[in-house]
Amino acid sequence: MILFSLLLALLAILGAPLFAVIAASAMIGFHSQESDLMIMAIEIQSIASMPFLAAIPLFTFAGYLLSESNAPKRLVRLTGALLGWMPGGLSLVCLAACAFFTAFTGASGVTIIALGAILYPALKQDGYGDKFNLGLVTSAGSLGLLFAPSLPLILYGVVAEVSIEDLFLAGILPGLLMLIMLSAYSLWINRAIRKPLSSFSVREVGAALRESLWELPLPVVVLGGIYSGFFAVSEAAAITALYVVIVEVLILREIPLRELPRIMRSSMVLVGGILIILAVSVASTSYMIDADIPQQLFEIVAELVSSQTTFLILLLIFLLILGAILDIFSAIVLVVPLILPIAAGYGINEVHLGIVFLAAMQLGYLTPPVGLNLFIASYRFEKPIMHVYSATFPFLIILMLSVILITFLPQLSLVFLGG
Amino acid sequence: MAIRKVLERLEKAGTALETFMLVSMLTAMMVLAVGQIVMREGFGTGFGWADELVRLMVLWLAMVGSIAASRENRHIRIDALSHILPDWAVNTFRVLVDLFAAAVCAVIAVQAWRYLQVEIEYEDTVLVDTPAWIAHSIMPVAFALIAYRFVISSCKQASNGLFNREPEAEV
Repeated sequence: MILFSLLLALLAILGAPLFAVIAASAMIGFHSQESDLMIMAIEIQSIASMPFLAAIPLFTFAGYLLSESNAPKRLVRLTGALLGWMPGGLSLVCLAACAFFTAFTGASGVTIIALGAILYPALKQDGYGDKFNLGLVTSAGSLGLLFAPSLPLILYGVVAEVSIEDLFLAGILPGLLMLIMLSAYSLWINRAIRKPLSSFSVREVGAALRESLWELPLPVVVLGGIYSGFFAVSEAAAITALYVVIVEVLILREIPLRELPRIMRSSMVLVGGILIILAVSVASTSYMIDADIPQQLFEIVAELVSSQTTFLILLLIFLLILGAILDIFSAIVLVVPLILPIAAGYGINEVHLGIVFLAAMQLGYLTPPVGLNLFIASYRFEKPIMHVYSATFPFLIILMLSVILITFLPQLSLVFLGG
Repeated sequence: MAIRKVLERLEKAGTALETFMLVSMLTAMMVLAVGQIVMREGFGTGFGWADELVRLMVLWLAMVGSIAASRENRHIRIDALSHILPDWAVNTFRVLVDLFAAAVCAVIAVQAWRYLQVEIEYEDTVLVDTPAWIAHSIMPVAFALIAYRFVISSCKQASNGLFNREPEAEV
């Protein structure tokens, strides 16, 4: 058994597709219990009985479509009109616009490609240092992960069987904290520049609002609809997707109809890659529960760790290492079912756990060896990877501080939940 | 090389079929889900089967999307070594791990096939009275195709290695 596990870990490190590694581990487990392997089919098809899962393909598609339209440009203009008057205006614009866009596109690296391409040259033109710009754009690329309706939040809700609406509420303050801390750092580091992007102009705000007239209802409808309980997350996703198609393809005509199949396909390739990992993880989780592994893990941990604080410290270290190795989606489906019962044993709220989990995983986008944002930025802006890494490092430290705060101040996550 | 031509045609037709299925299912899903809201809020009614159909479509989207991901080499991997190791080593490892993935998928395909037989035997149904095996038939098909794609990908990597070409880039 241990030999097999080591072999599978080796295969994963050598670059085997993760879903195959997870499926193999589940099958070896089931085989050792003398279960019929036909159970794999039953477990995999169970993704057809998970509620709200339809939100993932629908939001992903809407995000891909938005990122290929001129919506990113309009978003930058609008944020510029609203925040540009502050000293260091453009760096704040960058953070806010990226956070907003990532929430809607699900942290799959599209933010760096869609917004970074506009913001990176603009920052340079405005006199910010190259290294700062690179770090800012790279780390902003996954900011907003904690804001509704981001895919990782939805996926955590599905896997942990926690109310997605609660998670959406819980993410607000921790997400804002990250945003504010990075903004403060950006202002401080550029205190010599202190240059507003533009003076505040009601007319520019009006013009920018008018230009984004068609996209403005989106956050209102989606968030208002979900928070008020008017419709479920998957329904909000369907409305968003259909609305974005109508606006960008039929009304604004920024995306020709013939491009639609290509965009649909490329978004579904990402979704297929995520959902197949979810499907096989359902199998491996169900084997582990059969084999009583979460309980055994809990007993081991309970012997070593007595207080909640110590547990949280260890959890954080574990999550940071995990985030450096695994992508956020695989980490959620694979690890959450294991740590959920252990965390519950230490009296940690499952919504708070979700926010801590995702906040820690967000750092994984920026840490070697597999930080996705580092590679996308290096590829997109044609900079060596080590250069991107060192440029991002100060931002990583700030984010790490915010994650520590989020972990040890559960009130940040739970204040809106009325309990 | 007649076989090569046939394979290339199959490849093209396969890609087109995947895209067609993804586009039509995603569109149907949007329309169906929004239609449900309109029916519920506007007329206080709805189709009992619509919710189940949307969920089954998620399964199909996942499976067809996975086939497409394996064609485009976009399955999620821990991509740590390809930036450090020399090309020949990356190539060699990719040949091995893709063969491993192919084997795993082949096993799942066979198990899913066996499962369909059971469903046929017990006359399970979904969506009121549709035989369940029809709704679940995508599983053995998808895993068989993904296994096939990984064999092809492995062969490609092997030939890249032999002729000293660069490994297939991740997109």
